Amino acid sequence: MTALLSRFGTALAGFLVLLFFGAFAENFASPGNLSLILKDTAFLAVLAIGFTLALATAELDLSIADVASLAAVVTGALIQGGTMPALAVLAGLATGLGAGLVNGFAVTVLGVPSLIATLGTAAVARGFGFMITQGVAFVGRWPREFTGLARGSLLGVSNMIWWMAAIGLLAWVLLKRTRTGLHMLATGEADEAARLAGIRTRRMKRLGLALAGLLAGVTAVLLAASLSSAAPNMAGDHFLYAIAAVLLGMTMIEPGRPNIPGTLLAAFMLKALGNGLVLLGAPYYAQDIALGVIITGSVALSSTVMRRAAFTKRLNLRAAA
Amino acid sequence: MSEALLSLRGVRKAYGAVEAVRGVDLDIGAGEVLALCGDNGAGKSSLVKVIAGAQAASSGTMTLRGREVAFHSPEDALRGGIATIYQDLALAPRMSIAENVFLGSELTRGPLGLPFPRLLDRRRMMTEALGYLQRLNPALTDMARPVEGLSGGQRQAVAIARALRWKAELVIMDEPTAALGVRETAQVLDLIRRLRGEGRAVLLVSHSMADVCAVATRVAIMKAGHKVIDRTVAGLDPDMLAHMIMTGQGTEVAPAG
Ligand SMILES: Nc1ncnc2c1ncn2[C@@H]1O[C@H](COP(=O)(O)OP(=O)(O)OP(=O)(O)O)[C@@H](O)[C@H]1O
Ligand SMILES: [Mg+2]
Repeated sequence: MTALLSRFGTALAGFLVLLFFGAFAENFASPGNLSLILKDTAFLAVLAIGFTLALATAELDLSIADVASLAAVVTGALIQGGTMPALAVLAGLATGLGAGLVNGFAVTVLGVPSLIATLGTAAVARGFGFMITQGVAFVGRWPREFTGLARGSLLGVSNMIWWMAAIGLLAWVLLKRTRTGLHMLATGEADEAARLAGIRTRRMKRLGLALAGLLAGVTAVLLAASLSSAAPNMAGDHFLYAIAAVLLGMTMIEPGRPNIPGTLLAAFMLKALGNGLVLLGAPYYAQDIALGVIITGSVALSSTVMRRAAFTKRLNLRAAA
Repeated sequence: MSEALLSLRGVRKAYGAVEAVRGVDLDIGAGEVLALCGDNGAGKSSLVKVIAGAQAASSGTMTLRGREVAFHSPEDALRGGIATIYQDLALAPRMSIAENVFLGSELTRGPLGLPFPRLLDRRRMMTEALGYLQRLNPALTDMARPVEGLSGGQRQAVAIARALRWKAELVIMDEPTAALGVRETAQVLDLIRRLRGEGRAVLLVSHSMADVCAVATRVAIMKAGHKVIDRTVAGLDPDMLAHMIMTGQGTEVAPAG
């Protein structure tokens, strides 16, 4: 019972909030609105999955949003200039991956804590973004080939949902079903023990940060395709949301541990919360306040849940002995 | 011991200004149980960490099977056939017993019998982990339990199981019986004899004179970073050994009393 509550307690609380919106916010529960929320969740989810993978190795990537904005701008500039969409997409992904590799190098080779290193990368990325655009947005009638990546649909389901599902599944398989994923988690949870067991912990950290960068690039491409535009700071709104999704996700499914299903569920809950607040006519700043409370509250909760789980285990042991 | 499995020559290890190991020569041969003894802070664990690749030596050479080696990480040593049970056990507390036993050497399988992609074979790791632990601590049956809830002795069993898992030619144990009860200690000593019987080498760090006399073939004694004694265990009893550790000399000294 306690175990169930610690695994699904916050998910349950989130569900109750959704019920509340369903009852009091007109239209909230309409299929149209729900699928809108789901599509909106997709951008956030892809970005947050990257953050989850970096956090699995106990590294923070605070650069994801600014890197995503830069990657979107790079892609947009190329599309605007008439480059083949495939090449523009590759350039966007490479921008994200490149930033992730730089973060990994700074953290594992130069020994800069990720909190600082990724903050530096974020500032640099933002600067480049403004440099490329000169402060204005790229907007245009972009080729269908490109915009279709985000706007099209398959079997009646929006491509965005497919992207989220596919990337979520891949990340989940990586983290839970492969040696590499286990090594990433071990690196995050017991760095020295993992190293002594023969795991290349620094390589795992580099991998986590590289994937976070790459997924920021993916988010960027999808954002640009969906909006037919690219602007510096276009992913900025997703920054706090992504962090909140990962931390809230850590209070679910596998409490205390970054996990993909938790991140996805939390991303949806947060987007639904934002949507519900808007529908209820809450002022625009209510979302920021809610996110802030959720970020701190989630961490407080997962650290106490963790402690309690360890505590109960010890009690059981004594009872059995 | 004609052909040493591992030879150290002039190995030093300094942590900043602290010189923990000050030029040690040591040979370990297959089928040998070499006990490494000495007071607290004598440098035993430091020497162990150098051999295990956990820490780089400040100077000196290591020769493994006749070839000079330089370990840059524990992974190098493990690949070279040296597995270590560290004094602080080095387990991942939030991971399960099975995950800890197989950490770094996980089992995989292809889905539906395909060769690719390789996915973790959690079920087989659970059953095999149980197999490794059965001999060491039969009371441990739930391999999915996180290690953080285990007792000191149970953790020790998990750490030992992990080292066995590597099927190493040289198994290093840094105080493996420190947290163990009488029966569990006997099981570990049995295990050491079994390893020796299989022709493997064991480097046993221990403060228990009884354990050393029971299983070791040779004993090396360290004092303040130096190896002061290196001799066969034959003819020694625990009291003589204790005396030698305290004085740092006296193979010919008669036992007191
Ligand atoms: N990581 C470290 N940094 C600084 N000094 C260290 C470190 N590890 C060990 N030392 C010092 O090196 C010396 C030898 O320590 P070591 O742990 O090798 O001794 P030991 O023989 O294993 O002792 P014990 O029997 O207590 O386990 C001690 O003076 C210790 O304080
Ligand atoms: Mg020691």
